[in-house]
Amino acid sequence: MFRALAMSKVQLVIPEQVVIPTTEALAASGVFHPTLNRYFSPEDTPDHASQWRDWVNAFTTLERRIMDVMEALDVDEGALPTETPHLIEPNEATLDVERLEQETLTCVRELEQQKQHLAQLQRYVNQLQPVASLNADLDTVRNLQYLFAMMGTIPIANLERLRSSLEHVPFKLVTLRRDEYLATVMLFGTKRDAEVLTRAARSAYLNPLNLPEMYHGTPAEAIEALQTEIQRTQERIDGLQADIDRLHEERIGHLRLLLWRVRASRTLAQTIAHYGRLRYTYLVEGWTPVSRIPLLQEKIKQVSNEVLIEVAPPQSRNEAETPVALEQVSPLRAFQSLVTTYSQPLYGELDPTPLLAITFPLIFGIMFGDVGHGLLLLLLGILLVSRVIKKLRGMASFGAIVIACGVTSMISGFLYGSVFGNEKLLTALWVQPLEEIMSILVATVGIGALLLSVGMVVNIANAALLKSWGHLLFGHNGLANLVFYWALLGLAWNVLPEMLGLAESFRLPESLVATLPLVAVAGALMVAFSEILENLVEGHRPLVKDSLGTYLVQLPVEIFEMLISLFSNTLSYVRMGAFAVAHGTLSLVIFIIADMAGAGSVGYWVVVVLGNLFVVGFEGMIVGIQTLRLEYYEFFSKFFAGGGASYHPLILVPRKEV
Amino acid sequence: MSVASVSTYSMVHATVRALYSKMLGPDTWTALVQAKDLDTALSVLSKTAYSTHLLLKGITPRRAVYQIRRRLADIYEKLIRLLPGEGSQLLLWLWRLYEVDDIKAVLRGIEARASWEQILLLLYPKPKHALLSLDTMQRMVLSGDVARAVELTSHTPYYNALVHAVERYKAERSLFPLEVALDLEHHRRLWESIEGFGDPDRTWALRIVGSMIDMDNLLWAIRYRIYHHLSEEEIINYTLPFGYQVGDEHIRAIAAGADIAGIVKSVYPEIPVAEKMDDESTAGRGLQALELTLQRRIAAQCRAAFIGDPFHIGIPLGYLVLSEYEIKDLTVLIEAKASQLPIETFERIMVFQSTAYADMAALR
Repeated sequence: MFRALAMSKVQLVIPEQVVIPTTEALAASGVFHPTLNRYFSPEDTPDHASQWRDWVNAFTTLERRIMDVMEALDVDEGALPTETPHLIEPNEATLDVERLEQETLTCVRELEQQKQHLAQLQRYVNQLQPVASLNADLDTVRNLQYLFAMMGTIPIANLERLRSSLEHVPFKLVTLRRDEYLATVMLFGTKRDAEVLTRAARSAYLNPLNLPEMYHGTPAEAIEALQTEIQRTQERIDGLQADIDRLHEERIGHLRLLLWRVRASRTLAQTIAHYGRLRYTYLVEGWTPVSRIPLLQEKIKQVSNEVLIEVAPPQSRNEAETPVALEQVSPLRAFQSLVTTYSQPLYGELDPTPLLAITFPLIFGIMFGDVGHGLLLLLLGILLVSRVIKKLRGMASFGAIVIACGVTSMISGFLYGSVFGNEKLLTALWVQPLEEIMSILVATVGIGALLLSVGMVVNIANAALLKSWGHLLFGHNGLANLVFYWALLGLAWNVLPEMLGLAESFRLPESLVATLPLVAVAGALMVAFSEILENLVEGHRPLVKDSLGTYLVQLPVEIFEMLISLFSNTLSYVRMGAFAVAHGTLSLVIFIIADMAGAGSVGYWVVVVLGNLFVVGFEGMIVGIQTLRLEYYEFFSKFFAGGGASYHPLILVPRKEV
Repeated sequence: MSVASVSTYSMVHATVRALYSKMLGPDTWTALVQAKDLDTALSVLSKTAYSTHLLLKGITPRRAVYQIRRRLADIYEKLIRLLPGEGSQLLLWLWRLYEVDDIKAVLRGIEARASWEQILLLLYPKPKHALLSLDTMQRMVLSGDVARAVELTSHTPYYNALVHAVERYKAERSLFPLEVALDLEHHRRLWESIEGFGDPDRTWALRIVGSMIDMDNLLWAIRYRIYHHLSEEEIINYTLPFGYQVGDEHIRAIAAGADIAGIVKSVYPEIPVAEKMDDESTAGRGLQALELTLQRRIAAQCRAAFIGDPFHIGIPLGYLVLSEYEIKDLTVLIEAKASQLPIETFERIMVFQSTAYADMAALR
């Protein structure tokens, strides 16, 4: 649980004729992380790679076409397929897609046309509305003998340009109606200038009304006829929509399956394009967790016995390309995502997830101690995990963190004696932060010192696992540093009882106190000379990178920096106590405001409820951020190197989220 | 120089200065022009600021052009993010010149029944602020129909102009009305984005972007008359009534049939103009020379922005336009090297021609 899975490098030699089923088997195993073949890059064998790249392009285009059909039929992608789809050849898929397009798009396009026709009819009506009261026959306007008349729509921005372009001919431009972008206008002139007027109108994008000849009579009569046609068109649209709904029902399963097959085929082609190639075989390299090698071998054997599998011994040390597969322990998965957000652990490094799963809720609880607020968080966490509310499903993975934080907040709430900000209902099992500010601040610094010590111990364990003995003994946050830190803590502990007025029994024994300064000086010297000592132990030469003079000049600065760093790191945790106090103060303010509204009144309870919700939402978020900050910048920096490569096993279809 | 302008432009200025220093120098241009073939030219280019965008393995001339254009998209993205309010709006509209070109390329591709793969490499790489993603453009191409493709632009500011012009496309089966409507709409909005500025930003925006609008408007009017044989009223309607130095009166005069060379001289007395530009058979080279001269004139305005007060919009604008010209020249060079054209054939159509380049080097 504390370390990533042991990985082995796997090399495969795949005969050309079984490359597709073998790749499908690799994907079906779900454990093979392919790497770029470094000996035979695809560029060295352009023909092989380009064939697969052409397939990738073809599948990309096909996917788009399928999605267009799905969009036209209002079909979504649906659930992920339960079985991994097999490769479909681009030609076969193209034929299928063309057939689907033909039966679907014919219908959809007619629907589009009818909709456009409807919009056109409505445009005619809109254009005729301003002249609806005119008692003139449209045919008369159409067949004017001496006058030129054109009615239509024009972009408003072009109106002035049209006017100015006609300054050499007599004309009259009447604006009948203005919408957001277009204006409905009537352009009049003489028949003699018809050619100029038509050219000018066309180039100014004046789209003429072009009301079909079938609409006669006055504008009002034409509008009536148009309304009848609009109704008829609407009925046709409804009929077509029903056809599309029927196609939706009939084709939904086929379309979804085809989409996933094409997607899986694209991934397959993309993967093969990156394989190395000899004349009759493909060379594949990748990583698999040692425990899953038998599964991988079995999957491949089911496909072909001709595939040569070479498994290297388990990787013992970190290499830049070794992917890190963290063990998936279900309750810790949410905390794992917090770790990987910071960085992926290095191969061989301890996985800090279990530690984070303990320390994160602990720190949060200390800062946010309240039985009532913790209970709300607990309920919220349960709600998230249950996935009952659809819109919150995306946050389901955080549910476990919220539950853990809720529980620790409740425990701290009992220790502080606080329920929904009220500190009178419960008796504090430990202290009330507002009453004993100094105690809680000192206690939280103590917890901080403990966490930092744990961090250093983990760092030492990491160094031992990586067999980095120099780093273990003298490195930053190594054994020497830990000894130095503990000696300083011991000295600080010795003066605390006096400062806080605690009992004598809290003091350390005199003999131990006497040795602490010596231990601290020895520890400081070891840390100061860590570079030389580390290189000495690990056999690296030269012992000092720069000149010895420069090194010695830097020494006091190094010691001072180390002191400041340890001091500030430890003091950083005082914020846990400060937030516990702030939490109490904020709750107090809510009750003061509520009292101003009249104790026991409706206003009182409104302020109390809203105030508590505000505290849970706003302060909860700030405390969450501060907890993350303490984890990432104070705790992790003591032992977590990170920077490892993620483990991405080859899969053709994304896995279902659990 | 106000405190506001210093706070607005200090970061932009520092960034642009750093980027400006990475523009191709005279030695690099000489090496590029003198390169014996495309591979050598690309290898020279791979040692410049374009190295991060250039992937030499399996490269083709078209792919190389696409890759170097990505630098321009990245620079636009960076400067748009750094500039507040009106400045970023102006840069955004300047960027949309490429988006307009991409829409035209897609519509032409649909007309020519070209595949998405063929069209893709003609497009500009899309920065985050692009209104039309590559995915939408692919859907436009796959729709196989101009009117349907236009419908897919419904979320963009070009939609109203395009959808209104589609009526004419349907009637005439020509992309000309669509392309003109798109150009006019874009240039109107680009001009509007200058109007919100106060001095000195307005002055610099006019000098650089206004000069670009002038150049386009003037060349449109001339081409409509010479090559498209359009009537006076059509030329007026297909051009813009505003500009920095090219006014409505100049466009109207060209539309009315006045001597083109005379009008150009009256607007730009300092530049040499070919005498015979009124006839289709003789105007070609004169027009090409005029366009190149005007581009070099704009490049000079851009370089001038780097002298004196450093806190104004002219600095990012100037740099972006110079970068665009640099990439245009590189495109010419890559295509020329791929076609093995002699130096004298292509060098004269480059904005940063060796002689013109000398001024820039002196100002650096």
